Amino acid sequence: MAWRNGHAVRVLRFAWLPLLDGCSQKGYWLLHPKGVIARTEWHTTVLDVVVMGVVVLVAGGLVVAFLWRYRAGNTLRRYDPTFTASLVLEILVWGVPLLVVGYLSYFSVKSVFATNPYDPLSLRHALVRPHQADQGLAHRASPARARTTVPGAQEAQPLHVEVVTTDWQWVFIYPQQGIATVDDLVVPVGARVKFDLTSATVVNDFFIPELVGEIDIMPGMRTKQAMIANDTGVYHGYSDDFSGGGFSWMGFDVRVTDHAEFRKWVRRVRAAPDVLSYARFGQIARPTINVAQRVSYFSQVQKGLFDHVIERVMAGKVYRTPLAMTENMTKPMKVRLIP
Amino acid sequence: MLVSYPGPWTPFFGRLDAQQIPLQNPILFWTFVLVSLGGVAVLAAITYLRAWGSLWREWLTSVDHKKIGVMYCLLGIVMLFRGFIDGVMMRTQQAMAVGPRSPGYMGALHGYLPPYHFGQIYSAHGTIMILFAITPILVGLMNIIVPLQIGARDMAYPYLNAVSFWLTAAATGLVMISLFVGDFSHAGWVGLSPLTELAYSPGVGVDYWSWAVQIGSIATTLASINIIVTIIKMRAPGMTWTKMPIFCWTALSTSVVGLSSFPVFTAAVALLSLDRYAGTHFFTPGLGGNLMLYTDLFWIWGHPEVYYVILPAFGILSEIIPTFSEKPLFGYITMAVASIAIGGVSWSVWLHHFFTMGAGPGVNAFFSIASMLVGIPTGVKVFNWAFTLYRGRVRFDVPMLWALAALVLLLIGGLTGMMLAMPAINYTVHNSVFVVAHFHTMLNVVGFACFGAINYWFPKVFGFRLDERTGKRAFWFFSAGTFVLFGSMYALGFMGMPRRIDYIPFPSWRPLLIAEEVGIVLFVIASYYMIKQLVVSIRDRVQNRVTSSDVWGTARSLEWLTHSPVPFYNFAVQPHINARDEWAWRREHGRGAESPEHYEDIHLPINTPLPLILGAWTFALGFSLVWRMYWLAALSLIAIVVLVIARSFQDDPGHTVPGARIREIEASYRNGLEPAGAAGDGAGGPVAYPGAVASRPQDNVPARP
Repeated sequence: MAWRNGHAVRVLRFAWLPLLDGCSQKGYWLLHPKGVIARTEWHTTVLDVVVMGVVVLVAGGLVVAFLWRYRAGNTLRRYDPTFTASLVLEILVWGVPLLVVGYLSYFSVKSVFATNPYDPLSLRHALVRPHQADQGLAHRASPARARTTVPGAQEAQPLHVEVVTTDWQWVFIYPQQGIATVDDLVVPVGARVKFDLTSATVVNDFFIPELVGEIDIMPGMRTKQAMIANDTGVYHGYSDDFSGGGFSWMGFDVRVTDHAEFRKWVRRVRAAPDVLSYARFGQIARPTINVAQRVSYFSQVQKGLFDHVIERVMAGKVYRTPLAMTENMTKPMKVRLIP
Repeated sequence: MLVSYPGPWTPFFGRLDAQQIPLQNPILFWTFVLVSLGGVAVLAAITYLRAWGSLWREWLTSVDHKKIGVMYCLLGIVMLFRGFIDGVMMRTQQAMAVGPRSPGYMGALHGYLPPYHFGQIYSAHGTIMILFAITPILVGLMNIIVPLQIGARDMAYPYLNAVSFWLTAAATGLVMISLFVGDFSHAGWVGLSPLTELAYSPGVGVDYWSWAVQIGSIATTLASINIIVTIIKMRAPGMTWTKMPIFCWTALSTSVVGLSSFPVFTAAVALLSLDRYAGTHFFTPGLGGNLMLYTDLFWIWGHPEVYYVILPAFGILSEIIPTFSEKPLFGYITMAVASIAIGGVSWSVWLHHFFTMGAGPGVNAFFSIASMLVGIPTGVKVFNWAFTLYRGRVRFDVPMLWALAALVLLLIGGLTGMMLAMPAINYTVHNSVFVVAHFHTMLNVVGFACFGAINYWFPKVFGFRLDERTGKRAFWFFSAGTFVLFGSMYALGFMGMPRRIDYIPFPSWRPLLIAEEVGIVLFVIASYYMIKQLVVSIRDRVQNRVTSSDVWGTARSLEWLTHSPVPFYNFAVQPHINARDEWAWRREHGRGAESPEHYEDIHLPINTPLPLILGAWTFALGFSLVWRMYWLAALSLIAIVVLVIARSFQDDPGHTVPGARIREIEASYRNGLEPAGAAGDGAGGPVAYPGAVASRPQDNVPARP
């Protein structure tokens, strides 16, 4: 699928840039996407803001101009209380919003498919034409912009990561490597990463602002997400949907490494003494606030753990939150802290 | 028991015991002390002024739509303040608890609020602001203004009106008592599923939330029925649909939305309560339950609910802007159509509240386009307001300032709303503070409109103006606070900050959080001036007395025809409608101060304490269910059913005010005096007027157009 409006997007992007100078410092993660999906999402944002900005500025400008010109103190202006209807203006006030909404709807539908968590078209483009991978919406890029390729994007086999949230930790299972971690996500740069997500307790939301948008994580169900990280580095991921007392501490680091580094890391995890069996998962799933965000490694994972978690939840398995860790005011919360 | 939960249970007290009163928490302890002192002071003042009798006769048992409307507004304003305090606490916690090295106080790891307390505060803030502050204020305004604008004597169902109010008060009481007995929900105003299930929220907090919102939504459903029937059946002769003031159009649209959506909410929360009390599995993750079903049902109500609050706000702006532009509203027909269109589209957009659930691209695309469609009628409204200013004579009185600032906020909220309506953008800002900033922008449109409306209609209801100088100061500080706070919050949204966190893991968010705290300080100053405005205005009420019926001189709709303050019978004679802006038409045709030859007897409903008693039993029902005191719950339920049935057998003859008495009151109005008893004890039942004659209700069927 071609993005015929790629050119417009590119022009609009540069028109928008000066406005961003003021806030280009560190921390505005959405403005500086480091992944293919996040980039597509940011381009959509820019497009929408520019189009809507024009409408809003026109409407706001009209209001301010009329207020100034027709203020009571200004005796030079014309006062005409009979001006209460005008067919031309009515057609305009319905027509302009209609056209704007139509235009944005077209883009909205396009971008829905481009960022669809189950099969994002922008990733497909990135893989088919690796040299254009970073372009996102505007993939028909000029040669000058195509130099930022995604190393390794041609890799045929996507990396598969299964994500299970508990109260209030993240379990990342790498079924292809046969390893698992708690609160540590490491992926190779440029590789397509496919996530399967479920929760052992309540709803959470998987979000890495610089790499990929949000997807809900629901108990007894499986959702999917996919991404490609463009640049190596350490990024922050966290839950975005309130899940109880330990929600604020439910973060994890995302380390995007080169392929050699990733293989080295896998070997290190394989050397860990701990093994993630069903029983061991049951221990992790007990309500715990991982305040220091300490990572744990598991050299082996019992087969089918992800499906096991879903099946157990569907069969009624509940990891109860103790009264003291909910909203209870009578007894202070005793947190099972990981030091 | 059908379900298991921690903690003891006794047959008489249920889950309640002395330990449930959290006096060991210093914040709650001092709040409790302050509230108690304030309560004692109010009670003492009433006793000192010997006002118990008149309070009971004129207010608590009143079925007068204006009195009920004022009580609704008062309730809403008190709760607005409570919700605001919650907001101050949240912002302060987030400004303090940044980074792993930030200190913690009073049992918190960081900041001064532990997670379980912070969770209750943000949940109470949302629940209170939407359901128990903004909604009552708007219902109150509609209560006061709609019958006056359509030339009716009262609402269609005055008794039902009082029942709605006292049910709302009962629900509000439940939310308030949760501060001092037990605890409130931590699962957000939306009741995040399955966090609200007993396994994850074993305390009574979610039960407080669920029973309060169920009672509150029943009350709002009844209020909606009342407003719809009033508008359809009780318009003055000559008021065709196209002559009806635009505020009534929005009230009609909003009430249709309310009537059709609130029952969904009541039902969804009732099913949740079954999960929590009877051990069913409607919304549990396992055993056949479906937690997304709750989310679906909630937002099938929740989205129409946000239009339920924005539509009357649009109506208010459409009343204020023409008055202070000295021009009729531009594009009246279009505005009416747009109001109905917004109400209609509100039904097809709910899924945009969970674009991130992993629905297919087709589903998300459909709801994206549907959500964007809302922008069309809203955009139409903005342009029409702009063209109302065009060739007008614009004055910047306090109501107009609020209205114009609301317009600016609406533009900002519209821009960010169109962002959120695109799923690809939504994926990056959903559940972040960006969404919070967006809906606070929109709810501030409603808030600004409400403050404008209070300044605009206050002289009509109370007969004296609100102080202008303090009013303007309140406006400027409030506006500055809004832009500083929510501007920073939008920026934090682009930094990816999630909503509802009580600890801030990334120090890069700190500068903007401190900016938000500055915004909160501006809000505090604004609320100081708001209170001062009220105090100063009441102090200077004699100088600020309104002598004419139209205090602004350029108002347009029918409510400005009658006296200020409005006498208990609204209009001495039934007005006949000649034009769309009836009062402006009469003013321009020199027919403003006509006094009729002949005054007819006026038939009015009689006061009754039954709505108050029903409200009290409903409170008891809610409270006993929260604490699982099943005997009291059964008793209250029986009492409610018996009272309702008994009332339906009771003949309400109403009472008739003789024409001679009307003539007296009207004469003293014309002499510039506020006649004793005209605004006050008028609705005090058949005994209020010697010589009042009981008559059959059907003797006075309101005239139809």
